[in-house]
Amino acid sequence: MAYIDFLDINKSFGKNHVLRQINLTVEKGQLATLLGPSGCGKSTLLRCLAGLEDVSSGTILVDGEDITGKDPKDRNIGMVFQQYSLFPNMTVKDNIAFGLKLQKLPREVIEAKVSRVIDLVDLGGKEKEYPHALSGGQQQRVALARSLVMEPKVLLLDEPLSALDAKLRKSLQAEIKKIHNDTGITMIFVTHDQDEAMILSDVIHLFKDGRIEQSDVPTALYTQPRTRYAAEFIGHYNVLNKRDFDKMTGEEKQDEFPVDSSLSDTDGLEVQDRTSVAIRPETIEILQDDSPAYRFAPAADRYLLPATVVDSTLHGNVLRYTLDVQGVRLHADILFRSFTLYPAGHRLTLSVEKRNCLQIGE
Amino acid sequence: MKNRKSSRLTAAVLSAYLLLPLLMTLLYSVFSKWNDILPEGFTLRYYAELFSDKSFGASVIRTVLISILPILFTSLAILLTMYVVILYLPGLEKYIRILCTIPYAIQGVILAVSVLALYSNAPGLLSDRTLLLTGTYCVAILPYMYQGIHSSLLSVNAPRLIEAAQMLGAGRLYAFFRVVVPNILSGVVISAMLSASIIFGDFIIANTLGGNYFETAQIYLYQTLFESGQRTSAVIMVLFLVTLLISTIAFSLKKKERRQE
Amino acid sequence: MKTRKYPFPALLPFLILVGLFELLPLVMVVFRSFMPENGIGLTMTHYVHIFTTRLYQQAVLNSILVSSVSSVIGIAAAYFGAKAVHEGGPHLQHFFKTILSLTSNFAGIPLAFAYIILLGKVGVLVLWGKKFGIDALANFNLYSVWGLMIIYVYFQIPLATLLLIPSFDAIRKEWKECVSLLGGSSFIFWTKVGLPALRPAIFGTVSVLFANALAAYATAYALLQNNFSLIPIRLSEQFVGDITQHKEFGSALAVVLMVLMVASILMNDAILKKGPLLLSSPIGKKEEKT
Repeated sequence: MAYIDFLDINKSFGKNHVLRQINLTVEKGQLATLLGPSGCGKSTLLRCLAGLEDVSSGTILVDGEDITGKDPKDRNIGMVFQQYSLFPNMTVKDNIAFGLKLQKLPREVIEAKVSRVIDLVDLGGKEKEYPHALSGGQQQRVALARSLVMEPKVLLLDEPLSALDAKLRKSLQAEIKKIHNDTGITMIFVTHDQDEAMILSDVIHLFKDGRIEQSDVPTALYTQPRTRYAAEFIGHYNVLNKRDFDKMTGEEKQDEFPVDSSLSDTDGLEVQDRTSVAIRPETIEILQDDSPAYRFAPAADRYLLPATVVDSTLHGNVLRYTLDVQGVRLHADILFRSFTLYPAGHRLTLSVEKRNCLQIGE
Repeated sequence: MKNRKSSRLTAAVLSAYLLLPLLMTLLYSVFSKWNDILPEGFTLRYYAELFSDKSFGASVIRTVLISILPILFTSLAILLTMYVVILYLPGLEKYIRILCTIPYAIQGVILAVSVLALYSNAPGLLSDRTLLLTGTYCVAILPYMYQGIHSSLLSVNAPRLIEAAQMLGAGRLYAFFRVVVPNILSGVVISAMLSASIIFGDFIIANTLGGNYFETAQIYLYQTLFESGQRTSAVIMVLFLVTLLISTIAFSLKKKERRQE
Repeated sequence: MKTRKYPFPALLPFLILVGLFELLPLVMVVFRSFMPENGIGLTMTHYVHIFTTRLYQQAVLNSILVSSVSSVIGIAAAYFGAKAVHEGGPHLQHFFKTILSLTSNFAGIPLAFAYIILLGKVGVLVLWGKKFGIDALANFNLYSVWGLMIIYVYFQIPLATLLLIPSFDAIRKEWKECVSLLGGSSFIFWTKVGLPALRPAIFGTVSVLFANALAAYATAYALLQNNFSLIPIRLSEQFVGDITQHKEFGSALAVVLMVLMVASILMNDAILKKGPLLLSSPIGKKEEKT
C-alpha cells in the first residue's frame, strides 16, 4: 500500500511548466530518491509535498490523507535543506528542541527526546554550541536531528550534501543510510549526483523536464536503462545510434534485433537513427594477446570487435580506454590489475556479450 | 607595493585637517578670551551655564524623543512590510525599494517644505507640528532603515529560515517575528543608531516644521549662535559627544556581530 | 485548492507613512509648481521666472558651482585618503577610519561655527595671519563663495573617503604583481589599472557628493543666512520667514532642485553602464559610514 501518493501533479510558475502529470508512489519506510539535473522539477515536487509550494493541479496523499493545500506546519513532514538553515541565535540544543517547544511538551519529555536524537546523529558534547562554531557536516547533522526529533511521517532531504566536500559527503551518506536503517522512517531524497542516488536509495525516480523518465531499483536502473537519457545519466554508458552500432558490429541487416514496431518512422527519421544501443564500459572485455585461442573464435552470444586504442585515462583504480572500432568511438573500463597499459595506436580485440548491448528508445 | 611612509603622511595630513575645527571648538569652549594668538582664561563656566539652562536640557530631551519615535515606527512599518513581501508577494520588493530610495532625492529642504506646504493648513490632527515633524523624520530615515533591514534579511537568508521553522510546526507570523527578527536585531539597531545621528544633526527639517512649536537641540544651537561664541562651542561639544556615544554603540554592536560570523 | 488570504493590513503602516509624508507631498509639489499664484490652471511662469531672474539664476549657478567644485576636490582628497588606508598597516587603518567616522558627523551649524572661529573676521587663523604677516590668512574672507566652498569640502571628504575605501579593497595585489612583473612602476599601475578599475566607484561617489552638497542647507544658512543665493536657501525662504509665502514658486524651485539631484544619479548610472563593471557603486553604501 502506498504511503505517499502523488496523483496527476502539475505545477507551473507563470509560463514555466515545471511538473507535468507526475504520478509517483513511495512505500512506507522506503528511501526514495528523486534524481535529475538542475531545473528538472525534482526539488519542486519535494517542496509541494512539504507544503512550501502549492500544486497547480493534482492531489497529494500521505498515509491515506489528502494533504493538498494544508499548511506546512500541519503536515507533520520534516525537511532538511541544502543550506542547513539552522537558527543562528540558538544553540544546537535549542535548535533541535524548537519544534518540540512549539508543541508545548513538558520539559523532561523534550530533554529526553533531544538527548536521544543527539546520540543518533553523533553530536554528543555539542549541545551548547552555536551553529557558526560548527563545521558543515556538524551543522547538517543538527538539521537532521532537528527534523528527526519531531518523528515526522516523512523526512524530506533537498540536496542536503551538495554544499559539502567529497570526503564529508561520503561519510554523511553513510550516516543517513544508518539513520534510515535505525529509525525506519520514510525518506525522500533529492540529488543530481547519480552515485549518491545509487548508494542511498531503495528506489530511484529519474526526472527529465518535469516528467518521470524511469522509476526503478538502483541496480535495475543501472543495468537496464530504458531510454537514451537514462543511459547517459546513470553510469558512463556508451550510447550509440543503431546505425553506428551496426556499422561497428558489421551487421548491416537487422536480424538479431527485431525492431520495436512502436518506433516506426512516423516523422521521416529512419528507425536506425532513432533506436539506440547502450553498452556499459565495464562489460567490454579486452582480449589479451595471451588469451587462449578459443576466446578469439566467433560465438553466437557475443561480438568480437577489432579495435585501435585512441587514449587511456586512469580513474582511481579503473583504467578507461577510448577505442576506435570501424570509426565508432567506445569507452571500455577495466580494473587496473595488470601493469599493461596499451599505448595509442595499439590494436586489440574486444569481446562484448550481445545481452550487454541494450536496445533503448529515445 | 605598500608605501607605509607616504600613506602615513597622507593620513596624518588629512587627520590634522579634519580634527582642526573640532579641536578649535573644544578650545574655544574652555577659554574666555581669544584675542591674540593664544587663548586666555581657562574656565568651565560655559558648560556650567549650559547645564543650568533649562531650555537646553529641554531641547535635548525633545531631540531624543523625536529620534526614538520615528525609528520605532519606521522599523515596525518596514518589518511588517518585509513580512508580507517575503512570505506572500516577493514581486513587491522592487517597488518597496523604490519607495525607500526616493527620500534620497528629496532629502532635507525639499521634504521639509513639501510637507509644510501641504499640511500647514490642514484640518485637525494633520496640522499638528509635532506629528508632521515625526512623520517627516520617519520618511527621512527610510532609506537607511530599509537598507539595514534588507541586507540583514539577506545575510540571514530569511526565506529559508522561515521555511525551516514552518516545517517544524511554526506558523508564518511566529516564524517571522520569533525566528527571523531576533536574528536581524543587531542590523536593525545599527541602522537605528545611524538614523538617530542623522536626526540629531538635522536642522532644516526641525526648523521648518518644528520651529517655535518644537525646539530641538539644533534649533537651540542656532539661536545660541548669535548670542555667545563660547556658549555655542560648549553646545556643539556636548551634542558632538552625544552623537559620538551613539556611533560608538553602533560600532561595538557591529564588531560583536562580525565576531559571531 | 485553498485560497490564501494576504495579510494586507500589515502593509498599512508603511503605506500610510509613505503616502502621507513622501508621495503626497512630492506629487503636490510637482503640481503646485505648474499652478499660478492664487489661481487655477497650468503655467510655466515660475520656471521662467527662475531662469530669467538674476537672483534665482545666481542661486542655480551657485549651487551647481559650489556642489561640483567641492565634490571634485572632495573626491580627489578621498582618493588619496582611501589609498592611504589601502596601503597602510592595520594601526593606520583603524586610527584613520575612526577619525573619518568621527568627523563625518561634524557638519551643518557646528561646522560653520567652527570655521567662523578659525577663519571668520576675528578667527584664530586670521589673527595668526595678521600677527605673522601671512596675507592670505589675514585677509581671508570666509563670508564668500570661496569660504563656503572650503566648508563644503570639509564635510565631503570623510563621506567620500569612507565610501571609497571598500572599493580599494577590491583592488587585488595580483594585479599589482602583474604590472610589476611586466616592468611597470607604482605610478603606471595606478594610472593604467587602478584608477580605471575604480572609475565606477569614483563616479558613483561623486554623484553622492554632488547630491549631498546640493541639498545642504544648515551650513550655508549658519554662515551666510539669506545673504547668499543657493537653491536651498531661496527655497526655504518661499515657505518660512518674514516674507510672505510663495508656495507655487517655491514648489518650482523644489522641482528644479530635485531634477538636479536626480540628474546626478542618472549620470552616474549612465557612466557606470559604459565603464567596466568591476567595482560596485557606493550609493547604497552610504549607511555603512558609521
